[in-house]
Amino acid sequence: MSAPVSPGLRSGSLPLLVALMTLLAGLSLAGLTGVQTLAEGWAGAARNATTIEIPSDTPQLEDRTRALIQTLNKTPDVTTVRELSPQQVQTLLAPWLGQVSDSGHLTGLSLPVVLIVAHTGTPDLGKVVHEALPEAVVEEDRRWGERLNGLGSSLVACAWLAVSLIAAIAVLSVGMTVRRSVMAQRKAVEIVHFLGAGDVTISSRIAGRAALLSLAGGLAGLFFLSPVITMLARKLAPFSHDAGPAALPATTWQTMLASWWNTLHVLPRLLLEELGALPLIAACLGWLTAQTVVLVWLRRLP
Amino acid sequence: MIRLLNVSMMPPGVGQPVLRNLTLTVPQGEFRWLLGPSGAGKSSLLRLLTLETRPSAGQMDLLGVSVSQASRATLRNLRRRIGFVPQDYRLIGEWTVFDNVALPLRLRGASERDTRREAFAVLEWLDVAHLADKRPGTLSGGEQQRAAIARALIGRPEVLLADEPTNALEDAQARRLLATFQELVDMGTTVIVATHNEALVREAPATSIVLQDGTLAGADPQDGIAARRSDGT
Repeated sequence: MSAPVSPGLRSGSLPLLVALMTLLAGLSLAGLTGVQTLAEGWAGAARNATTIEIPSDTPQLEDRTRALIQTLNKTPDVTTVRELSPQQVQTLLAPWLGQVSDSGHLTGLSLPVVLIVAHTGTPDLGKVVHEALPEAVVEEDRRWGERLNGLGSSLVACAWLAVSLIAAIAVLSVGMTVRRSVMAQRKAVEIVHFLGAGDVTISSRIAGRAALLSLAGGLAGLFFLSPVITMLARKLAPFSHDAGPAALPATTWQTMLASWWNTLHVLPRLLLEELGALPLIAACLGWLTAQTVVLVWLRRLP
Repeated sequence: MIRLLNVSMMPPGVGQPVLRNLTLTVPQGEFRWLLGPSGAGKSSLLRLLTLETRPSAGQMDLLGVSVSQASRATLRNLRRRIGFVPQDYRLIGEWTVFDNVALPLRLRGASERDTRREAFAVLEWLDVAHLADKRPGTLSGGEQQRAAIARALIGRPEVLLADEPTNALEDAQARRLLATFQELVDMGTTVIVATHNEALVREAPATSIVLQDGTLAGADPQDGIAARRSDGT
């Protein structure tokens, strides 16, 4: 242990406070990353796809559909043109148009032909389709993508606001704890000050301790956060494009560990990095806050 | 050298000054008794000289530095050149006696080896080396006072200020302490000792600074400061 030249920080509650803040910040970051990933995935998929609907009463439906598929395949930037099977169309429309009959058909309705065109860039498919088959309806999924993007951005902004609020509350809590500790050791701080200890010497010792306690709190928060994040990730996995390996049923501690490890692979790398950085960020915030609080307090002394 | 010119001190929230128009000079390497009845302003003057507070008015120079205009960094460096034995000892309760005594040297950046050697030398001289690992709270008043004296003496300060440094000491220890103060003066340290102990003052006659109601109570014709010689000359 280094030789003392200034009183340290007395606070048993600081690690607990920081652990709670880390837990909250981690959950907010997980929510943020989840929303971001889902929104980007959905918007990305929608941005690069166009749905074409050809009414069932179109004359020479089959021939003209085939001709349109050939035309689309030759169009620059179009990567694939996929015709949905009648079964797929029925499944797609079932929620809006009613029950599928026992034979697998929607009762009393003739179904349109639905083409899904995947493309890169933004080809003007509306013009191509209109020239080849004027009866067809072109649904630019890009518009949905933009809406999803807007929704995603709002949710991301809310999540960032939550993270910022948590950081602000953490800073306030650490600040008050440090101030209480300084007040409790006021006499000792004054003694070392009047013996010639520099302000930074005094504040650095307290800040160093605050950083250590915050780091410990951050690590503890991360420890308690991991099962919660794992559980949430397993719930969200079906919605993710990178679902990864399926979660194993947790029966023994080995399968629980294996399941936890599998779920870790499902989590986006960015989220893992952010969560890993939380204890370090907590330590930095603790250090900075303690430095500021102590330096400001010391300004009262001559 | 210590030089005060028309110095007044009015603590915040107090209606009237506790020190008024104080003018005095103490050349480097001299000894002064600081005398006066309770409430005369002795502790306030020591607070000024230990840089715990700045004068409300007037000019104060300490070791060639104008305290009134000095920056915080300058005051910090100045404090490291001053040794102080407070009446209430002001030892840090959570630290050992050794750490308390070693603090001034550590703040000056001395090596741990030198700090240890010097701290134990001064603790042994004051017969409290065996208490080095104890906490101040477990010591008697006299032992705490000797620890506070050790902290003030370590590193041979250029100015040594002491507030009733012998009130918890036995006579022999008090005389030995006075002899040490004299040795420091001989080596060029300015020493000011506030006391009520008239027997001690009679034993070591020297120029005195006598305070009464926050002002100097007499004039010393030799150095022009308002003071009187304690031996009656």
